[in-house]
Amino acid sequence: MIEVKNLSKRFPQANKPDKSARRDVRESEGWFNAVRNVSFHCAPGEVLGLLGPNGAGKTTTLRLLATALTPDSGTASINGIDIIDQPMLARRQIGFLSGTTGLYGRLTARENVEYFGRLHGMAAPQLKRRCDELFDQLQIHDFSHKRTDELSTGMKQKCSIARAVVHEPRVIILDEPTTGLDVMAAKVLLDFMASSKRAGIPLIFSTHHLHEVEKLCDRVCVINGGASVFDGTTAAFRQQGGGDIFDAFVDVINRTNQSNERSAA
Amino acid sequence: MWIVYLKEMRSLLRDRKTLIFTILIPIFAMPLIGFGFAYVAQSMNARAQAQEIKYAIFGAHNAPAVAALFARESGFRTVPLDKSVNIKDAIGDGRIKVAFNLPERFDEVINSSQQAGLELHFNSADAGDIVRKRVGAVVEKYNSALRQKALADFKLTPPQLAFVLNPVRLDERSTANQRERIGALIGGMLPYFLLFVCLLAATYPAIDLGAGEKEAGTLETLLLAPIARSELVMGKFMVLFSVGLAAALLMVTSLGVVLRFFAARIDADLAAVVSTLGLGDLALVGLMLVPTAAIFASVLLAMSIYAKSYKEATGMMQPLVMVTILPVVLAMVPGVELNWLWASVPLTNIALAMKEIVKGTMDYQKFLMILFSSSVIAALLLAWCRNWFGREQVLFRD
Repeated sequence: MIEVKNLSKRFPQANKPDKSARRDVRESEGWFNAVRNVSFHCAPGEVLGLLGPNGAGKTTTLRLLATALTPDSGTASINGIDIIDQPMLARRQIGFLSGTTGLYGRLTARENVEYFGRLHGMAAPQLKRRCDELFDQLQIHDFSHKRTDELSTGMKQKCSIARAVVHEPRVIILDEPTTGLDVMAAKVLLDFMASSKRAGIPLIFSTHHLHEVEKLCDRVCVINGGASVFDGTTAAFRQQGGGDIFDAFVDVINRTNQSNERSAA
Repeated sequence: MWIVYLKEMRSLLRDRKTLIFTILIPIFAMPLIGFGFAYVAQSMNARAQAQEIKYAIFGAHNAPAVAALFARESGFRTVPLDKSVNIKDAIGDGRIKVAFNLPERFDEVINSSQQAGLELHFNSADAGDIVRKRVGAVVEKYNSALRQKALADFKLTPPQLAFVLNPVRLDERSTANQRERIGALIGGMLPYFLLFVCLLAATYPAIDLGAGEKEAGTLETLLLAPIARSELVMGKFMVLFSVGLAAALLMVTSLGVVLRFFAARIDADLAAVVSTLGLGDLALVGLMLVPTAAIFASVLLAMSIYAKSYKEATGMMQPLVMVTILPVVLAMVPGVELNWLWASVPLTNIALAMKEIVKGTMDYQKFLMILFSSSVIAALLLAWCRNWFGREQVLFRD
């Protein structure tokens, strides 16, 4: 179970805001409020799609949840473990995958996966068993001895998935995992997400591809201007657009943009 | 920490081309180039000294003794040239190296106890100094004979004669032994080789360990592993520390081998000093390299994690070479000797200590103080580096 309540994060602004430019509702007194009171939850076996335009705050939200960044306020827990109080314990529960494959090019596929297994404190026999299991599942055996800089995008994607779940995480967080992938490589990922869902693992992923949301997501959270502007089931979200998820997305973004502009003025 | 260390070392050792070009070639090529240059310069000088000087002499009848003097001198050979020949052309086309012009009444002037001029024509741009010095030595021999003859007319005893020629004789009694004299020279050069190799060898891996992780998109994943940030930093620091230290120690070995085989060809005194350097001296130099490698590793890692990309990291690290040159150059400035003040100046103190070790005059109290203060600096820099690894604005500058 993933629970996020009123999560907020701000960064100091390196440059002074341009006064002639349209004011951003997130800017205040030298700070940029990247995430503002974002809340959502994702139950076991559920897939939650995190949607929003570029720069909305999706990646920052996922980084907060994955403990890469520390929130300024709010709380979040992974299977009851508070990410602020027990970040190390929370990390052991999370399998994280970003848009980049995050692999070391000079290491082989097996070495990459084993490295992260060791960092998660896995003992050698347990790690070997888990690697063999994952390599069977994802059909990695044929290229497990090859350096990852020699692999195709699809192979890298498989290896990246194995790396993310080698420690048998209880939740999975994916940051725009299919961005820039060809159809076959994207399919590898979507199949993995579907199998995680079947295994009852809560899964959150950010995306711009609404067809992926329709295909996989039980719940949707839309973020715009750093704040969550919709949090509910996919069916309820679709309903807002008269049955069309694309219209629902455009509608909620336009509405919140207008509201934000009024607030900024 | 060791999981990170072993993974980074494995990754580094797989990049063979870079290893060869950035670490191994400098380690083995730099001493060979340095001493090869010294050897070539020394050989060229010896050849120029031994080379036969072909000369033409005009007006030999005006001073037969001078003409005879050069005719007798080994290494000089007279070339008969007609008076009408242009001297500059003859020197230019290599027929002669020098020409002497003895003016009329040369001997008459000398015999009347007056100073006479001997005109020397030579090309000062063509290794001129060696030719001028060799001719000067012959003329000085003649001058000395004339001086003694002139003074002998005053019927002076040999001690009186010595007094007239040089009333005060400077009797030099250097307290420095051979090792101190030659050691000051090699000891001054040693930090150049060692500190630069230590820095350069760690630079490329440093870029890979911080900025490289950001550029490859692996840093975020690594930061999410359940490993304490200090362990992560220590693992990466240890890679740079061991690479820098290993490179510098290899350089010591490489220099030792080159000196062992080539020192005798350059200078006999140098070879004698090299043979007096023992394992103890090398161990002391090695100990000095420990905090040096730690200082470089901390600074390079901090810079690398701050940089967004390879390009930015490279740009940031280039000025570091200049920052390293200055303290080492300072140690070479005459008058800068190892005292308590200089022992507190980072890097300069290490360069000065290396010089003292090679000279065999190291003060062990100062040695321990330098070792301690440099280790404290390295620890502070490592703490600063650890701090940067914990700052979100550094890790996620995008």
